[in-house]
Amino acid sequence: MNRAQAFHPDRRRFLKATAAVAGGALLIGINWSRGVEAAEQEADGSEDFQPNAWVALHADGRVEITVAESEMGQGPYTLMPMLVAEELEVPWSSISVLRAGVDPVYGFQLTGGSTSIKKGWVLLREAGAIARQLLLMAAARQWGIAPERCRARDGQVFDDSGRSIAYTRLVGLAASLPMPDKAWLKPPEDFHVIGQPLPRTDVPQKVTGQAVYGIDVRRPGQLFATVVHPPVFGGRLRAFDDTGARESPAVVDVFAIDQGVAVVARDTWSAFKAAQRLSIDWDPGERSGFRSQDWEDRLRGYDARPPSREHVRGTPEAVTGDRIEAEYLQPFQAHMTLEPMNCCVHFDDGKLRIWAPTQSPSLAYGSAKRLTQNRIERGWHKLLNKVFGGYDDSIEVNTTLLGGGFGRRLEQDYVEEAIQIAARFEVPVQLVWTREQDVRNDFYHPMTYHRMAAELDAQGMPRLWLHDIAGGGVSSWGARHDYAIPHQRIRSYDFEPPIPKGPWRSVAPHFNVFAVEHFIDELARQAGHDPLDYRLQLLPDGRLKRCLLRLAERVKADGLNKNERIGYAAASTFDSHVAEAVVLRDLGTGRYRVDRVYCVIDCGIVINPDIVRQQMESSIVYGLTAATLTEITVENGQVQQSNFHDVPALRLHQLPEIFVDIVDSTQKPGGLGEPGVPPLAPALANAWLASTGKPLRRLPLRLS
Amino acid sequence: MKLRINGGQQEVEGADPDTPLLWVLRDHLGMLGAKYGCGIGQCGACTVLIDGEPTPSCLIRAADVGDAHIETIEGLAGDDGLHPVQQAWIDEQVPQCGYCQSGQILTAVALLRNNPQPSRDEIDRKMSAVLCRCGSYPRILKAIAKLSEE
Ligand code: FES
Ligand code: FES
Repeated sequence: MNRAQAFHPDRRRFLKATAAVAGGALLIGINWSRGVEAAEQEADGSEDFQPNAWVALHADGRVEITVAESEMGQGPYTLMPMLVAEELEVPWSSISVLRAGVDPVYGFQLTGGSTSIKKGWVLLREAGAIARQLLLMAAARQWGIAPERCRARDGQVFDDSGRSIAYTRLVGLAASLPMPDKAWLKPPEDFHVIGQPLPRTDVPQKVTGQAVYGIDVRRPGQLFATVVHPPVFGGRLRAFDDTGARESPAVVDVFAIDQGVAVVARDTWSAFKAAQRLSIDWDPGERSGFRSQDWEDRLRGYDARPPSREHVRGTPEAVTGDRIEAEYLQPFQAHMTLEPMNCCVHFDDGKLRIWAPTQSPSLAYGSAKRLTQNRIERGWHKLLNKVFGGYDDSIEVNTTLLGGGFGRRLEQDYVEEAIQIAARFEVPVQLVWTREQDVRNDFYHPMTYHRMAAELDAQGMPRLWLHDIAGGGVSSWGARHDYAIPHQRIRSYDFEPPIPKGPWRSVAPHFNVFAVEHFIDELARQAGHDPLDYRLQLLPDGRLKRCLLRLAERVKADGLNKNERIGYAAASTFDSHVAEAVVLRDLGTGRYRVDRVYCVIDCGIVINPDIVRQQMESSIVYGLTAATLTEITVENGQVQQSNFHDVPALRLHQLPEIFVDIVDSTQKPGGLGEPGVPPLAPALANAWLASTGKPLRRLPLRLS
Repeated sequence: MKLRINGGQQEVEGADPDTPLLWVLRDHLGMLGAKYGCGIGQCGACTVLIDGEPTPSCLIRAADVGDAHIETIEGLAGDDGLHPVQQAWIDEQVPQCGYCQSGQILTAVALLRNNPQPSRDEIDRKMSAVLCRCGSYPRILKAIAKLSEE
């Protein structure tokens, strides 16, 4: 164990307890919401400890892990337990996963924000190591030897004479020992779980139809609801006539809520059908003249006002030669999770129970608390008393599986609606949006306008780089690149979003990396350089450059056909480094096809290579859909699209071949779900530039 | 109304005669494997097999199914374990969020029943009816390729 890394368990982050379940269990509580940074910042450890994630080793050998992160396809229900299994030294098959907040025995109260592999990397390994240390101490005590002579492996403790004892016989004793002062994390060379392509724990239930998403929540006596929102952003309800809607005997009630008109029925279809038969008089409000085309024009005139942020390197104002200029535009985009927004709520005799496919149960909890305190207390005096009496545990948030997230489910609007609707009933009510409502009531990827300018030196390399970003709710995140350019100025012009704006898979790097990486190719072309060499020359040695070099090798080995052109792009985002190449095939008569996409990722130490690969495939398909198929446009304050026929998604027959290489690394783990997205669109644009000689000024690029 | 589902008979009572099969399955029979994604036949998340044909259950009224045989994801695994397509889906680790996968699996079942060694063209034509926002397509192709080798 001499190469192991010692640490002192932080009592503000970990709690050891004995669970009052049959036979006793060893429990390590983790204050997940506090997290690594917060714990380091807060010197005062006197606050109440609120564990909201647990590792539980039961006397029968089962290990249960509560995961405080939402499973929307990106694999936390597998990655998080792997970290525990590694340090706890238990067989993978003994581990099961619970979603944090589900088990009332633990009295969870969710306060955490978004969580990440980075947090889990520290907290879950430490929790596993603490539990292992307790088991070693228990075995040592049993044998009357020093704990240093003991070693754990595969659910057992061994001593140096070869004796062994199973964890199951140590659980009781280990649970009675005090929290150890010191524990040890395994050195990476001893890892036998981390780094393995273990199958995902959530897959078996997802092939049998048994997986429970938000929309699948069924509670006794449940009613079904839907909401009709104003068709225009900022619209308000004037009046409605529900005579037609109420004709169906399955319709229970129709009423106004803050966000529109709610229909409650005995089944989802009856609610949908009745909603269509409402005649509603909307006050269109002040934004009813809004057009995305006007907004685009307004963004083009962005510099009538001062920038919100400016980053300067060198003395860009002193560089005054001939400039190369370009402008790019990214449209509004919707998230289009395949499972539309939904949420089930039950005001249950003083308790408010919520079942939601949410990315942030803590935000859902916050919304619930705010709403029940301020708005709907009248019918709910019992709950009101509880809330004012300080009983926060009257709100229970159960997070289901998510049928996609992509950032959409960080917003809690649908939870708030469900609460307002269910407040009128004593039975559970499940709100389900139609797809049309989902498309038109999103928090959209912003429209962004980029004005680029550069000046080249005698060798054709840029010595001046100017990038202005304008949009509603934008920043320069992702615009600050690693290229060695002496004089740079990056300015963001952040406008009030004209329509609701939210985080969209990979957030600001999605639009900023596009501008940076496409402009680099435009410059290379102007300078008569090969874009790949140009990039390699400009990039400092480091992880991103190594990804690009490896990508280039891979592409070279495969070669290109005569009718094919390639585009490269690379970016470091979310603590990971990704280089991608898109091969565009000319099919003749002005038609093109994305034939292959190559990807190299360095995401630090690889916890599960198969999930890394899967997330890259996923990011490429997501990025390609946005880059080639979709945009959201607005006319008269109204989103013009409404469903998958006019916001299409890439389908199987349009799939390029995807090749993913993963860099071996011992660095801290970086993000997986998002860093694969930003390089895709510029790599495609660069392939387009190589094929046609034309830059791509405006996304999406419709290929046929 | 009576429906023949997964080899058995199911009695449905009190459903609006216009109710699409999808919502009869989900809200009246508690069979939640078929999912709602679009309601207009575009996404395929609601796919079931009707007399062996992959059909978006959001588009057909339950009342119009008559005595045709409906197969859903719930009926796919038998007493002797998972259907080979489900097993291949696990082996290739196809699902991500998983929401589209009932539709994907049933569509693949029909494809392979029809032709155990489908061409890429045929796979493209049949499987493109079900969309996946998570991009599980490369693994769907691998799983089908593996099944057609057996
Ligand atoms: S819900 Fe039936 S095809 Fe989308
Ligand atoms: S796995 Fe998420 S939509 Fe297909």
